[in-house]
This record gives sequence, C-alpha cells and structure tokens, in this order.
Amino acid sequence: MAIKRLFIANRGEIALRVVRAARARGIETVLGLSLADKGSLAHQEADRSIVIGPAPARDSYLNANLIVHGAKMTGCDALHPGYGFLSERASFAELCENNAITFVGPRSETIRMVGDKLGARALAKAAGVPMVSGTDKINSAADALRIAAEIGYPVITKASAGGGGRGMRVARSADELQASFARSSQEALEAFGDGTLYLERYVERARHIEVQVLGDGAGNILHFGERDCSLQRRYQKMMEEAPAVILREAVRRRIHKAAVDLLAPINYRNAGTVEFLYDEAREEFYFMEVNARIQVEHPVSEAICGVDLIQLQLAVAAGEPLGLTQSDIHPRGHAIELRLLAEDPARDFMPSPGRLTAWDIPKGPGVRIDSAMFKGAMIPPYYDSMIGKLIVYGEDRPQALERLEAALQSMAIAGINTNVPLLRAIVRHPDIKANKIDTRWSERVLLPEFLNNIER
Amino acid sequence: MTNIRPDEVQALIDTFDASAWNEMRIATDGFELWLAKDPSARDRGKPVPQAAAAARVDSVAGEQRKSPIGSSAPGEKTQPAAAPDNPPAGHIYLRAANLGTFYKAPKPGASPYVEVGQAVQADTEVCVIEVMKLFTPMYAGVRGIVSKVLVQDTELVEFGQPLFLIEVTE
Repeated sequence: MAIKRLFIANRGEIALRVVRAARARGIETVLGLSLADKGSLAHQEADRSIVIGPAPARDSYLNANLIVHGAKMTGCDALHPGYGFLSERASFAELCENNAITFVGPRSETIRMVGDKLGARALAKAAGVPMVSGTDKINSAADALRIAAEIGYPVITKASAGGGGRGMRVARSADELQASFARSSQEALEAFGDGTLYLERYVERARHIEVQVLGDGAGNILHFGERDCSLQRRYQKMMEEAPAVILREAVRRRIHKAAVDLLAPINYRNAGTVEFLYDEAREEFYFMEVNARIQVEHPVSEAICGVDLIQLQLAVAAGEPLGLTQSDIHPRGHAIELRLLAEDPARDFMPSPGRLTAWDIPKGPGVRIDSAMFKGAMIPPYYDSMIGKLIVYGEDRPQALERLEAALQSMAIAGINTNVPLLRAIVRHPDIKANKIDTRWSERVLLPEFLNNIER
Repeated sequence: MTNIRPDEVQALIDTFDASAWNEMRIATDGFELWLAKDPSARDRGKPVPQAAAAARVDSVAGEQRKSPIGSSAPGEKTQPAAAPDNPPAGHIYLRAANLGTFYKAPKPGASPYVEVGQAVQADTEVCVIEVMKLFTPMYAGVRGIVSKVLVQDTELVEFGQPLFLIEVTE
C-alpha cells in the first residue's frame, strides 16, 4: 500500500534527507521534533511539524509512545525512524505495527533476531558465512595450546565471564600462550570470580568492510557493493569509502554473496548493512553484525551505484516491488565520505555546541554535502555532534581524494570548533593515499602525529 | 569558572528562548548569566556589562563567538512556532506538559473542567492530555480567571503549546 503521509522521528541531516526523499516520491511529511530543534532545516521543509517533547532525547526522540501517538493523530500511515534513537528497537517497530503504521524498516521480529548476538551468529552459521573462529571454554594451558595450534596464531584469550579487557591477551606463538595463559586466567578469576577462558583467532591489522543490501521482504535481496570503513576512532567511523579497493574481485564477489545469503532466508525487508572484519594478510572476512537500518555512510554506496537508498527504503516498506535486479546495479567510480563533527580534536574531541557564524561549504563536480546546517543555526548540546557529511565522487580513488582535499580547503565553518583540521590531515596523509590503514591506525599513527603537529 | 557545564548553559538559554520572559538573570557562586530578547536591552541588575556577561557564556561553551547571544537576530531564535506572542500583562499561558490529545471534559458530552470566565485555583484540574490511552490531568498552577481556551477538544497539542490564557488574580 502506497505511503501517503510519513512521520519522521529523527533530527539533523537524516531528517532533512528523509523529508526530501519523501517529497520526491509525492509523500507528505510530518516531522516530530524536540523543542531544541525548532527552526531546523527539516522543520522548515517538512509539510508539518509537531513538538514531541523537550530537548533531552529520552523525553522526545526516544519516547516511543509520544511519537506513535503524534504519528496517529497527524494521520500518518508510515514512520521513518532514521538512524540511531529508536531505529533498531524491536519494541518500537512493533508498536508501529500494532497501530497500523508502516515502519520504514524491518519487521519487528527481524530486528529482534538480527539484534541478538547469538541469533545473528546462528544466521551466519546457517548461511555458511565465516565468523572469527572461537572456542568453547578452556580450562588448562595444555588444552589452549592444542586448540591454538588448530586455529592458528595469533590468538587472543578472553574471559568467559566478562569483558573489559580482563583476561584478554594476544599470543603470537605457543611460547607466548604458555606464558600468558595462567596470568590471564588468574586475572579473570579476580575480576569475575571465574577463571574460565576461551580463545579466538586474533586478526591483526583488521579492516572494517561492510556490504550495503536492500531486501523487499519477500526473499529478494539486492546488494549495492561494499564499503571500507576502516578509519575509525574508538570504534566510531571517521571516513567511509566505496568500493573497498583492497579487495580482489573474487573476494569482493564472495563477501557480497555472504551478505545476501545471510539475510535472504529470513526474508529481510529494508535497507541494511552486513558488517565484516577483514583480514588483509589472509584475504579472509569474518561476519560481525547486521545493522538493520539505513546507515550514516549510505551516500557513498548511492554515489557509486546511482541510486537513492532512502527512496528504495520507502518503496519496499510500502510493499512495492524493487523494480531493480542485481544486473541493473553497476558500481562505478569511487566515493569517500567524511563526517563533520562539532568536536575539537585538539582538546580530546570535546563537543563544541553553539551558533554557526559561518557555514561556507564547498560546491563543485562530484561534491555532495548532507547537512541540516546553515549560517546562524544553533547546534544544541544534547545530541550527537555530527553536523554534516562531506561526500565526494571521482572516477577513481586518487581523483576522489584530490577532490576531497580541495573541498576541505575551501570549507569555512565558524562559531564552533570542528574536526575539519583533522580531516585535512587525514586526506593529506601518505598512509591514506597509499591505502595502508586498519581499524586502529588512527589511534596508533594519525592522532599522535596530529597532536604533535599542533603542539609544535 | 566553576562547575557550570556548556549543556547547562544551553539548557538555560533554551528555557529562556521558550519562555515568555524578556530578560533572565542567573547568578550563582562564580557564575553570572544575563540574557535578553530585546537587542537594545541593557543589564540593569548588578554592574555586569552585557559584553562581559556574553563573554562568560562564550568561554563556558568553549568557543569564540562573533556576536553575543543576547543580540541574535529574531529569526535565529528557537521560539516554539505554535506559541503566540507574549501573554497580555497580568496573564499567563498554561502550556501543554507533553504532546498528546487535549480533552476539555472528563468524558464526551460531560461539562468541561473549566470554562471562560471561571475562577481557578492552583489545584484546579483544567483538562486531560492523552498519550496512547494514558490520560494525564493538568492543573491551573495559579490562582486566576480563565480568559481564553486556545485549543479545540480532541485536538493534538504539541509539547509546550499554550492551552489556556489565564488572568492571574494574585
């Protein structure tokens, strides 16, 4: 059933992006916003807006009852949750379902299944998708040595009873494992009252590779290529690109197939992402998790595939056919996204809310900005610090990087501190140009260099 | 500066922005904040010049601002769109405590909780607001006389939307 009026339960750039995508499909929009977001661009562009609550998210963007009540009373027949907030809460999707509101996302049962670690691992196992090989509980160093020989070094010991680094040690050889096992076990015993450990193969210099998919809910799953999101700081992505140029074509095809095979059996509906850890040295990938929502970095896949994923999301939510087959999707060129944050990288990434006194953003061939900012806009301190995304497209990775560097040079934001100086350092860095990074590179190389250069 | 955080200052600014007040002054140990909606207003309280007060806000927020908050253009303010201008002198707006459906009476056909011209006490129930079948009563909060009912029965009201205009009698 075609969507007539869409409630948008989010803020910032994604709310604006959804307003515009809905309008392009002839769908009316009602924005539910907090008091702090009055006057935002999404507020200005939506057909109607209602204030769902005060600034704190728990009283507005995270209050499912207020949101669904507002959606019903404004005559909406569908709801888009954006990302973050309630987008992956099964109970919220269920509340929409029970109130005859089409949730622009997966069915609640799907969210429940893929959101559960063991449930997701069961799906991967059933589909024959590789996971980081792990073991059951191990009680002695002798057992550990025997099993490590099967898995292959390096391995990491982990406490069976808890996390937080206790009992975690990387061993690169049998000697190291022999030496560390008792200490790790003792540490786990002291921390959790249980010295049981298990082993996992340790992936050194791992990359984060993810596959963008879209399912129609009837078992048809399309993929839109993969993204390389290896540049992260404390597991927060800083830069995302598509395609992942380090993959050989054969590996690329296998990783796409793994993502599709994993979600097809559950008739997945919605845009989604299957995340993998990639071991560059062995050319092997391991399933990590499914993100059952549209993601921040979706524009890089849109750029190389020439599609609008939000519009496709609206189509499949309404039960419309995909209108596309896999052979219609031809990834071409290279796209890179950088996240613009109201944070000061020179001061431990302290958030820097405030009013924008300048917002001069680059324009040009292949440059796209997804942002809800404007000169004079107020960045409230209550929410995520992301103020926009800079996305560039080029014929190949070197051209995309050149355009990115030029775009960053011409960007002028004032009134707040931003991470733009760090982004400039990133795109100029030889390791980035040579594409020799991994998920810990920023902490190991980039940030120490960046901070050192500031001090001098 | 003491232990005032940027988000706390922001919360104060938002409260002020959303209020019907023309000015707000807050002073605690080691911290003073003065805000005004009229760009030509001058601080008449303690001898803290406007520029100095604004500068304190700036340094708390950890940023270099070009213009003081008190002089931002009207269009830049985050005023609730549904809120009319400030209430007439001697009156207050009673605003919705949360988003929901406004009911003027306990049940359909019953007489309303309050009507125009009626005197109310702070604890007089004036309406209920429903969210997903949960009904929450609202009270007048002041002693006064109901001057206007600003919304229709069963209408969806936003958080902070004025529901009643009340003439305060004390």
